[in-house]
Amino acid sequence: MNEIEGKKRQTVFSWAANTWKTQLLFSTAIALLVMIVLQTLALGFDFDSVGAWFQLWLQNWVNILRNNSGIGIIALGMTFVIISGGIDLAVGSTLVVVGAFVMMLIDSGPKGILLNMGITGVPAYIIAILLGMALGALLGSITGLLITRGKLPPFIATLGTMKIFRSATQHFMQGYTPAVPKSFLSIASLEIGGQLLMPIIYWGILAILLYVISTRTTFGRQVIAVGSNERATKLSGVNVNRVKLRIYSLMGLLVSVSAILQVSRIGSMDYANAGSGYEMDAISAVIVGGTSMAGGKGTIIGTVLGTLIIAVMNNLLNLIGVPPFLREAFKGVIVIGAVLLQKKDDNS
Amino acid sequence: MIVEMQGICKSFGSNNVLKDVNFSLKGGEICALLGENGAGKSTLMNILGGVLPADSGEVFLDGAPVIFETPAESLGAGIAFIHQELNLINDLAVYENMFIGREVKKKNGLLDADYMIRQTQAVFERMGIVMDPKTMVRDLDASYKQIVEISRALMMNASIIIMDEPTSSLVGPEIERVFEMMRNLKVEGVGLVFISHKLKEVMQICDRYTILRDGNMVAEGDISSEVTTDELARYMVGHNVRTTSLQRPSRSTHEVLRVENMSDEKNYREISFSVRAGEILGITGLLGDGRSELFQSIFGAGLDYTGQMYLEGTPIKLHSPTQALDYSIGYLPRNRKENGIIKDMNILENGSIVTWPQYSKFGFINFNYQNQQFDTQVKKLQIKMGRKYDRITSLSGGNQQKVILAKWLSIQPKLLILDNPTQGVDVGAKEEIYDIILNLADEGVAVVVLFSEAQEIIRICDRALVMYHGVIQGEVAGTEMNEHEIMRLATGAQLNY
Repeated sequence: MNEIEGKKRQTVFSWAANTWKTQLLFSTAIALLVMIVLQTLALGFDFDSVGAWFQLWLQNWVNILRNNSGIGIIALGMTFVIISGGIDLAVGSTLVVVGAFVMMLIDSGPKGILLNMGITGVPAYIIAILLGMALGALLGSITGLLITRGKLPPFIATLGTMKIFRSATQHFMQGYTPAVPKSFLSIASLEIGGQLLMPIIYWGILAILLYVISTRTTFGRQVIAVGSNERATKLSGVNVNRVKLRIYSLMGLLVSVSAILQVSRIGSMDYANAGSGYEMDAISAVIVGGTSMAGGKGTIIGTVLGTLIIAVMNNLLNLIGVPPFLREAFKGVIVIGAVLLQKKDDNS
Repeated sequence: MIVEMQGICKSFGSNNVLKDVNFSLKGGEICALLGENGAGKSTLMNILGGVLPADSGEVFLDGAPVIFETPAESLGAGIAFIHQELNLINDLAVYENMFIGREVKKKNGLLDADYMIRQTQAVFERMGIVMDPKTMVRDLDASYKQIVEISRALMMNASIIIMDEPTSSLVGPEIERVFEMMRNLKVEGVGLVFISHKLKEVMQICDRYTILRDGNMVAEGDISSEVTTDELARYMVGHNVRTTSLQRPSRSTHEVLRVENMSDEKNYREISFSVRAGEILGITGLLGDGRSELFQSIFGAGLDYTGQMYLEGTPIKLHSPTQALDYSIGYLPRNRKENGIIKDMNILENGSIVTWPQYSKFGFINFNYQNQQFDTQVKKLQIKMGRKYDRITSLSGGNQQKVILAKWLSIQPKLLILDNPTQGVDVGAKEEIYDIILNLADEGVAVVVLFSEAQEIIRICDRALVMYHGVIQGEVAGTEMNEHEIMRLATGAQLNY
């Protein structure tokens, strides 16, 4: 009897060990699980009832997800960029451009563009959102063109646009603070059951959408092919330049969604600092999620897990009272640790 | 020095790669190590080179048992391993490559370039090689790179040198240059292991042979006048292989491709020829003849060109492979690893990437259709594989090549361009690829096949163009299509009329 049980345990254990070695997603998920357990422990159990504890636990989770939905959405696009062997440093700056543009459109003050055209309320919001997304995609395609037509390395191209976009926005928005109408805020701040869930829902929908694109569409598979062997992909009749252009447009589009969410949550934007560091946060999430910087390997699920690992870790550090300045260091540790672990997997 | 390996066994998991293999080599002798891909040649040499440990068995150097745990230990004992992918750094000079990892410094800590150059020069002189040690490795042709590797081994006082397919990327005079050096080494008393698929070369340069098949040593002996390439090939594959020409009845059909006066001003000039449906046209020449560049341009993946090209009578000009796809032109590139396989994708995806857009709806891939298409090709081409969701890199070279063929066959090409389709493919699989090409031609596909070896041209082509420095030097067909005539044209001589 005992022997059989021992054997069974052995098989489950060896299955786990084997899967750990071969499936990157499995080890990433386990890492997330460990984080969640630690975080739950840190939250403590010192409550009047189980119900009260659960409510706090849930509330904590809603906060984590909401606070990271902006980065989460950008990381989804960054996954495609990095799988294709590229990088986009300009996401934070693109966010500021789109944010400023949308606010100018819906400004309820005397300079409001749509207001002066006599469009207000929901129609104005819809127009502003669509135009904002179009601008995001356009800025992305400019990057894409620099990379494909201009043959610039993605790092250089986006390093340039990063500087240009933010600096230009700061200059042109000097002394002009658009007023975002209260009702616009409901896009992100609509309460469901007393909770601000909208950003989480947007993130969830986009994650599912991008997962489907990545696994089931021609474009999604071509992204992996381009990242794995660009030359062979080109020689297979794939229009590599068009694939790349689409990747960076998609990136811009997702950044614009993130920008609109930020505007509607906060109602304003600090052009100097908003979105700064987003590129590195998004890249970190993608890397921790198992996507290879060398291109060709990566998954959307991994990126969602990676985003959550970093988010839960932040929350954990906060709960156990690690000083704020030290928290970034932990982020660094987790990125390096994740890649070291993935390296080991790769060799076997 | 005498190396002896006795009763070597090695397995990876349940796969027994070497089963009780013996191997020996004396100084001043060149021994060929033959076998198909996967026969265990590399594993055996990796054990000798300290890259892998043996499961059982012993290695003796001059009668004394030794165990090499690292390549450095093996090298220290005088055994150098020159891998097929050369270990040179293109952006450093020859002498810097010779001393890499063992750079000589002056007292002040800076590199002593003069000393290193002199030492390099000394080795070259000893071997009768004319080369400036300050040349950048990037600027050397493939044979000189090989020579630099060998010289480096010599400089480290190697008395046994293992050469893994040293001639696989070389042609004609380059091969002779490496052979010349090998002969000199022999005179100096160095023992050489020559791993190769090219049996003719083995007959030419080697003193002895050892043949492995499925991890067993199946034959060994001296290379004498009684040994024939047929006999060696039979040992390697375990059954008879054809080594002579397959003449097909010629038929007259419509013209598929015609090229007139095509030039790109850099690699090829004034090229004109045509191919008919059901015909196999061979193109050959020595390295630098421009044939690969020519067909890259025809496929839309090369430099811009002047001149005109017609597909079934219609003038066309291709700017990208995507367009070539629309015209039903398929292309199997040379250097499978760089240009052919997409290593992060599975076998199925590698074998169907070309047709994704054709059978996708709203951008969604039709997985049923993809599977059906691929299964048909797997059956037709007899691709041997585990599951189609396995990695492409789990396949042997020949089967990888078939998968790349499969992706092009799925578009039902009118014209198929094959650049060196049997590169890095073992003897048995070569035959299968020849058969596939012949079948395709019988089905009415116009096939253009680029080979660097005359024998291959003679085996399957109906006629062949021989290129020399970017121009078509002549055309051979029928009885004229023999090695002698092809070699004469490839080295620049005019055709006799």
